Amino acid sequence: MKSIWVIAHDAAVAAELVRGAKGFQTFVGAVSLGGEAVPGADLTLTTPAGAGMIEGYAQPIADLVVEQGARLVLFGSDTQSRLLAGAVASRLRTSARAIAGIEVQGDAVTVTRTIYGGLGVATEELGEAPGVLVVGAGALPETDAAMAPGEARPWDATPSAPGLRVVETRPKHQQVVNLASAKRVVGVGRGFAEEADLDLANQLAAKLGAEIACSRPIAEGVNWLPVERYLGVSGARIRPDLYVAIGISGQIQHMAGVSKAKTIIAINKDKNAPIFAQADYGVVGDLYEVLPALVQAL
Amino acid sequence: MRIVACFKVSPEAQDIQARPDRSLNLDRAVWKIGTYDLNAIEAARQLADQVGDATVIGLSAGGSALANAKLSKDALSRGLDELATVVDEALPMAEPFQTADILARAVGQLSGVDLVILGAGSSDVYAQQVGNQLGAILGWPTLNAVETIAPQGDHVTVERPLEDGVQVVEVALPAVLSVTSGANTPRIPGMRDVLAAGKKPTTTLEVGPVLAPTARLVSELASEQVDRRHIVIEGAAADAAAELATYLKAL
Repeated sequence: MKSIWVIAHDAAVAAELVRGAKGFQTFVGAVSLGGEAVPGADLTLTTPAGAGMIEGYAQPIADLVVEQGARLVLFGSDTQSRLLAGAVASRLRTSARAIAGIEVQGDAVTVTRTIYGGLGVATEELGEAPGVLVVGAGALPETDAAMAPGEARPWDATPSAPGLRVVETRPKHQQVVNLASAKRVVGVGRGFAEEADLDLANQLAAKLGAEIACSRPIAEGVNWLPVERYLGVSGARIRPDLYVAIGISGQIQHMAGVSKAKTIIAINKDKNAPIFAQADYGVVGDLYEVLPALVQAL
Repeated sequence: MRIVACFKVSPEAQDIQARPDRSLNLDRAVWKIGTYDLNAIEAARQLADQVGDATVIGLSAGGSALANAKLSKDALSRGLDELATVVDEALPMAEPFQTADILARAVGQLSGVDLVILGAGSSDVYAQQVGNQLGAILGWPTLNAVETIAPQGDHVTVERPLEDGVQVVEVALPAVLSVTSGANTPRIPGMRDVLAAGKKPTTTLEVGPVLAPTARLVSELASEQVDRRHIVIEGAAADAAAELATYLKAL
């Protein structure tokens, strides 16, 4: 296969994408925006840190892809990387695709994407244009490729984002949540009547050693929890060992975020709630009665 | 100020049924305005009301579902002043680049547009890319994940939550902004809005053919389901909790 280029501004994301790309047995280059050499990359091009919006590198990246004859350009799925991917794709006159899986045979590339809120999956064969892919967690095949440090050199590229001026960047106050790495997650939904009642779920989470997460209305309707904690097609997608859904009905869009969990447990008072069809173990009951009893029994 | 709010009409996911062979049956699916697109319409309306001298034009590229009067009335009742559509049977299945290309041509035809607002992603594909790609085609300042938009004369100041902080950015106009699904709470139209919607102007734009796709669609199938045990217990809360606790401890 022709070369693959990884574009990233976060060291961990860059390393993960390069590791996955190495599995395709070809030259893997990396553009490390504001970062350092990426382990495993055959060549890393680095840019100075703090050079403004990384989105301004769209044109130099598109030029690089053409000049290198790259088959694939891989981006992480964070906000800035998505914008950069779209800007690069338009310049290459192709679409940026958010992929859930990929198969490569020579230069033939087949990707899968989630559709209809997680209900379906679309499979596509990429055309001749370089594939611009926004890579979701777990989308690349696992490899045990050697991750030796390769050559790194400063990239002679000038970013340009006319009409955009960053006035300030405020750090977030709440701690950074990484639901993706949590082995156990307790999710809360609209079955909770009051914000204070979430304490019941917190107690359970403490007993189980689990992170707290929620359905979209809890984060974007009543704002009881930060948006980083909501699970679903438009929120975080996780694959923990255990997911306990409390007072969550189990809409398709929510389940898309948790359907890969090894074990799903549901507590809901509506026995017809769709969550039960996707749970390993379900309790039909009032969470206000079940949770205190459960916490005590654990 | 001329503000364009883009939206996509797509089949409601909960109405789609998986057949035994995993093919998808869309026959019973109702076509609706995308959930996240409602945030774009609301953001455009709120901004227009703040600016005062402003018009909100709804813009949708889609298939024959757009010809449904009930649907256009629904869109118009949510805060649009007028509606423009591009209809082509290739559009419901179009890729981000194809859609962005059509929208770019439509925005050009609408002329004098200061700001294009889109939602976080469509309800069906959710690639989260049409706004990003549209902005790049137009060559306008472009941002995704915008939470707030404050008008400042010849530019707008936006807040954009990133994974580790909130960026405050001054954006020169014209520009393309995609808003987050938490940017606002879309209004629920009242009777007066619905009645007024019928009198608002709608136009169909002719912008030329849809570009060729950049990939070949092999299949669209229902997602594979993980096999679950489906043990459900009903009964007294204390008993159920005890049984569940035993199960949890064994994990």
